[in-house]
Amino acid sequence: MSTEVNNVTSNIAAAAAAAAAASPSASVTPANDPVIFVTGGYDHTIKIWQAHSGICQRTLQHIDSQVNALAITPTKHIVAAAGYQHIRMYDLNSTNPNPIINYEGISKNVSTLGFQEHGKWMYTGGEDCSARIWDLRSSNFQCQRIFQVSAPVNCVALHPNQAELIVGDQSGVIHLWDLRSDHNEQLIPETESSIQDVSINADGTYLAAVTNKGHCFVWALTGGSGDEKTKLNPRHRIQAHKGYGLKCEFSPDSTLLVTTSADQTARVWKTADFSETLVLQHEAKRWVWDLAFSADSQYLFTASSDSIARLWSLTTGEVKREYQGHQKVVSALAFRDTMIPVS
Amino acid sequence: MALYDNAHWLLSHIRDSFISTDDTGLCEIVMAKDDIPRELYESGSVYVYPGAEDSDEEDLDALSDSYDILMDMEFSHRARTNTAQRLEKMDLEKKRAAKIKHIKWENPQSMSSEEQQEMFNRKELHTDKPLAKQKSLFSEMLEKCPDLPKNPFTDYAKFDGNLQIGVPIRKYRIFMCMLPKELRAYPFQVMVLATAKVQEFIGYICYKYTSEHPNTHIHEDISKYGLYITEDDGEIDWDFPCLDPTEVISKFEFSTLGLVEMKPSDKARHKTTKVINQPLEERESIDKTPEDAAKDLAKMQIHTTAMEAPQYQLYRVYIINKVRAKIEVHLGISGDKIEIDPVNTGKGASKFWMRQRAVSYHIDNVAWCELGEQKGSKTTFTLVYTPHNNLTLDGFNVSLARSQSFRRSASFKNYDFEAGTVVAEEIVSKINHILQLRSSSSRKEYIAQKERKALRRKSFHIHR
Repeated sequence: MSTEVNNVTSNIAAAAAAAAAASPSASVTPANDPVIFVTGGYDHTIKIWQAHSGICQRTLQHIDSQVNALAITPTKHIVAAAGYQHIRMYDLNSTNPNPIINYEGISKNVSTLGFQEHGKWMYTGGEDCSARIWDLRSSNFQCQRIFQVSAPVNCVALHPNQAELIVGDQSGVIHLWDLRSDHNEQLIPETESSIQDVSINADGTYLAAVTNKGHCFVWALTGGSGDEKTKLNPRHRIQAHKGYGLKCEFSPDSTLLVTTSADQTARVWKTADFSETLVLQHEAKRWVWDLAFSADSQYLFTASSDSIARLWSLTTGEVKREYQGHQKVVSALAFRDTMIPVS
Repeated sequence: MALYDNAHWLLSHIRDSFISTDDTGLCEIVMAKDDIPRELYESGSVYVYPGAEDSDEEDLDALSDSYDILMDMEFSHRARTNTAQRLEKMDLEKKRAAKIKHIKWENPQSMSSEEQQEMFNRKELHTDKPLAKQKSLFSEMLEKCPDLPKNPFTDYAKFDGNLQIGVPIRKYRIFMCMLPKELRAYPFQVMVLATAKVQEFIGYICYKYTSEHPNTHIHEDISKYGLYITEDDGEIDWDFPCLDPTEVISKFEFSTLGLVEMKPSDKARHKTTKVINQPLEERESIDKTPEDAAKDLAKMQIHTTAMEAPQYQLYRVYIINKVRAKIEVHLGISGDKIEIDPVNTGKGASKFWMRQRAVSYHIDNVAWCELGEQKGSKTTFTLVYTPHNNLTLDGFNVSLARSQSFRRSASFKNYDFEAGTVVAEEIVSKINHILQLRSSSSRKEYIAQKERKALRRKSFHIHR
């Protein structure tokens, strides 16, 4: 995997190198931090934290826009932020508070984004009713792709086979977009609702979606490898939350599913039988906007409207750390971890 | 300037400038002995500038022979124009923008199917899970990092100026004067949001200090601490009170401050307790129902009328004289007197019983004012006064009136007026507000007399 990453001469690497050369203070390129935790919010900043201590290390400027979504590249040296009409990329290894690359030419808000597993391309979805694939290789927009739907796109998830996108829109339609063949399929889990988030587990065996009515739908996936078409088989329909659903995500080990909501909670479900195991709620009682797992599925980060990001233990359900420093709502977060073998 | 060619004047001006602009006073000490201009003047070796001889020898102090010396702190710096500042800002923006690579969305070009196949090739998924037990680096770091003692001031972390971009911040050097001597020898640098209140700034200082020195104990009740103006060497300037905790920190232009634990006496002096309650009150005011708000408004209205009471106001009312005739008069009320002026209109103006003298009473002669009975839309009201010295226009007469009223009690007279109910009420409340403010001797006497009467009546009832 590492050789493949190095072979990709991406825009990002070039821009980062240029930025490093420009500022003498950052001339020594430090090793990429193996653990990165970033949060972004309505205060137009992105903060980089020392995840285990809760100390804010740096603040990046995200001018003129709130941060809708954050993603860290697989190489861990860039953080990308989705905002109003822009996707901005920041170098994590320099002290530069400004973006190094600005992706533009989109109307309205970009609501979600993510990376192909080797950082070859980036996918985004936004209020302009489209999902896009951005080629990250320099001087080559060969694989630039666009997929248009009839309603604003709320969420996009990449199938672990790296060749299919699951796009959820505001009119309640889930689209399966096969990037290789451009073939696509639609699915409406319930009428008159909006798909807020979709997630596929690491094995590609489950797909989950949350709606604005607080429902969580789970499908078992079959196919998806080789030339076989991915098929969705409905499995569960859970009344997960009383209020607006916001996010859902499978844990890296696929044993848990977490949903967050405007009902001020994050709920943890066991994938074995989709029963509720934990309700994560704190005194502040505010919307829970975003979440991320530690690589070993032991801890969960949440972003909340009370301008604090929290770390929860998934075994005990208690708050382990609070990340304070944002002035306003924390609307997005991203986390990258490293697995280490246990002797 | 005409005198610039005069060596004596120049010398003495330079000397004076040095002395007067040097705050440390060192120049004065150095130059105290050698007053060269004076020596030259006395030796008569230079042409003395005109007027120098005229000055009285007694008054010939160091500064008497100079023009006004302007203490300009900015010396010769010319303030930059807004345009220049804006241009510089734009230039910086441009430079910053140049460092950012902009990539515009390009509509997809047609892609050969092979390319597409290659680019979006399906990855084979391994369903068999790795058996080797793995742990995440983050979990390990978290376990190694024991649960830190929670910083009690984390709520103030958001005022950190270092972590903010694009918002005004302030830099201060803080001496932690409440700590033991060895810990407060050096100031520590603090960057804070310019919008933070002094109280919040104190909280943030405590947060920062506690996170950097976890072993130092700082009281969790930050209202115990006050920020004082401090010399560069850390010496507190006790002549000034602590910075008002409710004020925004950017109001204070000092670069060095000292954080001091205040004694209860200091606290009382600066009324910091009041300050701590204030946010609560604010919150309450938000929660108030419309009824409460209306009550508050009414309270404010009373307050305003009381405030405006001493302002001069002219009313047109009827005075009811001895023969029950109504005469229209102007009643002028101000903070220090009440004037009654007849309005000579109508046919009855010439008749003797309809005559009303123009009089003026000093407000200290007015003892009482109350509403009488209401007839239809009209209401009567009574003004009680001490009649002597009713033309108390100067201070002498006022004092005379006072001394007299002390000796001669029970000499109150009254005027009856009639006016529209609203006007009558307004006049009475206005006069009463003024009387409350003044609380003159005649008023006290009148009240005392009233009480005596009431008491007598009571005792009469009891003894019956």
